[in-house]
Amino acid sequence: MRKPWQPRQPRDWWLHNPAYRRYMLREATALPLLLYTLLLLTGIYQLARGPVAFGAWLAWLQTPAMLVLQGIALAAALLHAVTWVALVPKILVIDSDRLRIAPRHVLRAHQLAALGCNLGLIGATLWLLWPAGGH
Amino acid sequence: MRRSHEPISWSLFGAGGMLLALIGPGLIVSTLLLPWLTQDPQALYVSFSAGLRHPLGTCAALAVVALPLYHTAHRLYHGLHDLHITGPGWLLGGVFYGGATVLSALCAFWLLAL
Repeated sequence: MRKPWQPRQPRDWWLHNPAYRRYMLREATALPLLLYTLLLLTGIYQLARGPVAFGAWLAWLQTPAMLVLQGIALAAALLHAVTWVALVPKILVIDSDRLRIAPRHVLRAHQLAALGCNLGLIGATLWLLWPAGGH
Repeated sequence: MRRSHEPISWSLFGAGGMLLALIGPGLIVSTLLLPWLTQDPQALYVSFSAGLRHPLGTCAALAVVALPLYHTAHRLYHGLHDLHITGPGWLLGGVFYGGATVLSALCAFWLLAL
């Protein structure tokens, strides 16, 4: 009788190795980021419904549950950004006869871009909405 | 042979991942600050709806919602495999990639309704 060997992987395979645990944590950042994206989507929906609905959405952002969600999403987004940028030089390999860029330069460029874009966005929000500046 | 959807789903995953790395944390800090910085919700409504009615604003908002939807759908879809949660491919694919597509279409519809 034919009896092929069946490799078995226990369901909790990722729990017992720190590298696998870090991998699963990185993959898990998708869940809070999905919920945060749905939060943004509801904002666009309420904006389309009118000023009263949009005002209610702004107030809803300040409820404890939404503050906790945004806090967890912020931690997830930071972990995502760090791990994503670290992977870029492994995926984006620029090594042809015409153009050759060392992986550490690719990494540094993406680190600077991520830092600049994120800080720029926060700066723009503060600059446009700071109460004293009044727009 | 049936064509794989992987090149398309991975491209959307990659674009969403890059967008989230570039502006994700900044965007979340901004929405955390938004209600506290807003003195006049009415004025914010007017400037937001004007900004999103501009074609560039519409495209930017759609990208900021749709690409992270595809990114997270892709990661969660493959995460189920890692957790040994299995099911018919058409069902899981339909829920994750189909769900991201439906929500992106809704986002486009609401943006155009502004």
